[in-house]
Amino acid sequence: MTIKKYLRLLLCFSLVLVTCAPLIAAAAELKVQSDTLFRAFSRNTSTETDAAVMPTYEYLQVDLENPDSPGLAFHLYGWGRADLADNDYFKDSTAGELLYGYLEYSQKQARFNARLGRQYVFEGVANESLDGLRLSSDLGKYFSGSVYAGQQVALASVNGRSGDSIYGGRLVNHMAGLYDLGLSYKKIRNDSEDAEEVTGFDMSVYLPHNVNLYGSSSFNLLTDSWAEHSYELTASVGPVSIRPYFQRFQYEDYFGTGANSANPFRFLADSNEQLVVLGSDLTLKVNEAWTLVGKGKNYDYQKLNDSSQYYAAQATWSGEEHSQIGAEIGFMVGDTAQNDYYLVRIFTYWDQLTETCPVDFISSDLVYVGYDQSIYGEDSSLFLSLGTGKKFMDDALELKLSADYSNDPYFDQDLRGMLTASYRFGKSL
Amino acid sequence: MRNKHMLNIGSLLLLLALAACAALDNGMDLPAKHISAEDLGINPTTCTDCHEARGEKLAFGSFNHTATWGQTHRQQASQNEAVCSMCHQTSFCNDCHNSGSELKPSLKNQGETYRQTPHRGDYLSRHRIDGRVDPTSCFRCHGNPKSAQICAACHG
Repeated sequence: MTIKKYLRLLLCFSLVLVTCAPLIAAAAELKVQSDTLFRAFSRNTSTETDAAVMPTYEYLQVDLENPDSPGLAFHLYGWGRADLADNDYFKDSTAGELLYGYLEYSQKQARFNARLGRQYVFEGVANESLDGLRLSSDLGKYFSGSVYAGQQVALASVNGRSGDSIYGGRLVNHMAGLYDLGLSYKKIRNDSEDAEEVTGFDMSVYLPHNVNLYGSSSFNLLTDSWAEHSYELTASVGPVSIRPYFQRFQYEDYFGTGANSANPFRFLADSNEQLVVLGSDLTLKVNEAWTLVGKGKNYDYQKLNDSSQYYAAQATWSGEEHSQIGAEIGFMVGDTAQNDYYLVRIFTYWDQLTETCPVDFISSDLVYVGYDQSIYGEDSSLFLSLGTGKKFMDDALELKLSADYSNDPYFDQDLRGMLTASYRFGKSL
Repeated sequence: MRNKHMLNIGSLLLLLALAACAALDNGMDLPAKHISAEDLGINPTTCTDCHEARGEKLAFGSFNHTATWGQTHRQQASQNEAVCSMCHQTSFCNDCHNSGSELKPSLKNQGETYRQTPHRGDYLSRHRIDGRVDPTSCFRCHGNPKSAQICAACHG
């Protein structure tokens, strides 16, 4: 999308905003959040070696709503980019996108909610961005449901939008504190051809002794077979909690998205592989500050007759606000040495600084990965990052500065910097 | 043509049923918005600090933001969008779940190391292995024609 198109979209939504403002309750609040990111690094372009690349990103969020009572509301979020160095580094990339922009009407009665415009739908088998309408509501005491219809945003640039459509919904039966059982359906058509038709089942069952069972299965109606089963159990005994899980993916049915398929997933759909994942997390909350986590995961490939395992241990100290110090070590091992690596991460975030300190927080991050088989002649990746920030104007403006260094198979001693200016504005209308 | 008419009639009936049932009893009776962190005085990430793990309205214990929550909230979020939206705008989710933005999740909020965002560090190299080991996790965000454009540069 060009900057011109992006600005045109923003203008349209601004007009909607101005038009709708009087319709929204008198106590409505307008909230605007602007995040401007200035980045600087060097890259090889088609005409220059080590050319300076200085993209500036603007993320703009506008919310117009009455936070204390339901009714009409408007939400918008999008981003745009301009390259201050003006070289051809971004010539093949979109320069901005409206991520969502929709009018919303909600009422307390039965939690009825209607959204019209560009929005995300993440429920049941749907994980989509669409331009259209979504309605949801409680359906009596034990049921709730939602339906949506429109056009999938992901198909906007593929041979125009004629013949593109998406619709679906989810019906849930729930008994508060006992269980939720959901049935969902989704169909996507791309240029009048079926791209996806999926139905699914999801569940949350709250068993005695704080044992919970969650899971979902999806069935590909175009290939007429199960695509995915994902189930997990959570249980806690005192400070210890455990989360064993099971997943099974049939590649042909999981990646088989018909007219929507794209590489590298199109290739995977043809491989007829079946992946079974078994794993567990074990968490020990030592005290209010310390948390220890152990993770183990086994990947089993039925057709390839191969397997990989990932093991990790993590320790985190948490203080006031967001202050944290943590470390993680992980190992990927298996039948194929090409997939083996170990990972070490140490990070800090400290926002409990004295008033005499000129900044509000300091953060650091180190990620080191060692590869069993070298990638482009390098057998490790080192990433270092330092960050800091300070708030001004009664916390309405925050400036954040970060610098990171990378030495890895793709970039040799790469240094990057970023300055972020976040501005929050709120006004009662 | 007949299928299209059936679909339209079915959709209309479903909408009418939804509207009719909406006038019935409330279900979970949850508020649209949670009290904000500013008004509460604390960051409400552990629901059971105030609510019972098995509350009358919700199994609040399932939504505690534990040390692994960043990697494990998929089932809760896909089954309870309304619970997430009591505290989070979609833009918060977009920091990670947004393949429409060219900045990878860990980069947009580089300094906020406590957020456990995915793809931290040199993920360009690591994705060669993670993608071979479990491509299903790539597919969730990069599986449609638009979001797969980032893969096309190398994967065709």
